[in-house]
Amino acid sequence: MEEGVQVFYNVFHEPPLGVPIAIYFYMTGLSAGSFILSTMAYGFGMIKYKPIGKIGVVLAILLLVMAPLSLIIDLGQPLRFWHLLLYLQPTSPITWGSFLLTIYPLNCLIYGSFMFAGNARMTRLFGLIGIPLALSVHGYTGFIMALGKARALWNTALMPTYFLVSAMVSGIALMIIIVIIQGLVFSKEHKVNRDLAFNLGRMLSMTILLDLFLVFSDVILLLTADTDAREAAYMLLTGSFSTYFVLIEIIMGALFPVALLMAPFTNKRLVPVAIAAFLAMVGVMAMRYVLVIGGQALPLS
Amino acid sequence: MSRVRYGMLIDLRRCTGCNACAVACKAENAVPLGRWRGWVKVVEKGVYPHASRSFLPAICNNCENPICVRNCPTQATYAREDGIVMVDPHRCIGCKYCIASCPYDVRYLSPFKKIVQKCLWCNHRVDAGLLPACVQTCPTGAMTFGDVNNPISEISRLLASNPVQVLKPEKDTRPHVFYIAADMVAMRTMGTPWEGKE
Repeated sequence: MEEGVQVFYNVFHEPPLGVPIAIYFYMTGLSAGSFILSTMAYGFGMIKYKPIGKIGVVLAILLLVMAPLSLIIDLGQPLRFWHLLLYLQPTSPITWGSFLLTIYPLNCLIYGSFMFAGNARMTRLFGLIGIPLALSVHGYTGFIMALGKARALWNTALMPTYFLVSAMVSGIALMIIIVIIQGLVFSKEHKVNRDLAFNLGRMLSMTILLDLFLVFSDVILLLTADTDAREAAYMLLTGSFSTYFVLIEIIMGALFPVALLMAPFTNKRLVPVAIAAFLAMVGVMAMRYVLVIGGQALPLS
Repeated sequence: MSRVRYGMLIDLRRCTGCNACAVACKAENAVPLGRWRGWVKVVEKGVYPHASRSFLPAICNNCENPICVRNCPTQATYAREDGIVMVDPHRCIGCKYCIASCPYDVRYLSPFKKIVQKCLWCNHRVDAGLLPACVQTCPTGAMTFGDVNNPISEISRLLASNPVQVLKPEKDTRPHVFYIAADMVAMRTMGTPWEGKE
């Protein structure tokens, strides 16, 4: 604020979207990521990813059952949730989401049941149908942010892509942890499929780098776009959300995991790879939190 | 003759910052404690003896291209023929996306009814041939309400003969609350963010 200008009175209303929305975005992201990894073996025939195919689809379904629950409890009128399917607004991304959130889990169920029944052809078919659905079910949440035009932090064309890439980060990281736990606890010889874990680790590091590039582009544009955007950028970099953004999302959740996954003395050891995967998951949750809560922290009036 | 399109003009040269509009609105619409459909923002600039205080009554702009209507997933928020942006209290599910999308922060979730509420330009009064409560109350006559499509209405004549401004025209919402003599620092978004106080 410039010298000698003071706001004596103004009204700010409570930020409308809370932590349940951030958690919802996180869970759909994890679900979409898990599903896409699951189709690598069963849809595209990459045999080395076969061990995560089944667990991937189970997680995708579980997460996608829980995710809309956190949306519904956040409604002012949870019992009116059926209005979403009856009264439609084609221009609203939430209406797109109501249908995606209905169709995608159904497709996951069909895909999963064919997989467990051992029907390779039908599994492949529904896996391939599921990929655009999985991308949409998470991509549309990016549009919810992007079309929330009032908020400088949200209103960018990068948002859907940013959401999809971070969804892949969290999905791959989850799979690494699952592969390690599955190997240590549930397999007969208590041995981790190290090749698969390290392979996913390489994939994770590449995805995090892409994610970092998107964050970098976003921040550069925020710093130079307009007054509200610059305020938002400073809030992330030095202001009230810098701990979540700089420390947890960028340093702890992206740079440190990439270092662990790329350094030659750590990228072939299970413990550093597991730590990297865990931190990447925390980093993506921080990203959702910063976007949803931080995006609404700046006053509009 | 084109359709009726309501608009509001606030002449800030006449505004004394008495807050009667905000009080009248609260009383007329039973607005819950801590929420406002309209309020008067107060900004001071300069150092004595070269200082001034500016007022900016803020209410829903009842935009011609409303983001809230575009984003409402159930069409609970819709624009009437005459431009008033409504919320259907029976259809609103309280998803709050409209509140998040509004660039003017003029919507809130009713803590009692758990649906979104906003300034409706007192549509119940307007439909009965009365003025909105804030316009009716304003003791200095700073607020003018009427049909901007009718070239001989008072608001049309004032709009045509004065330099006027709207808030955040860059958002392409085409607001229909116009201001005469709004100060730059009062129109800018500023101040401390919401701190979690009820």
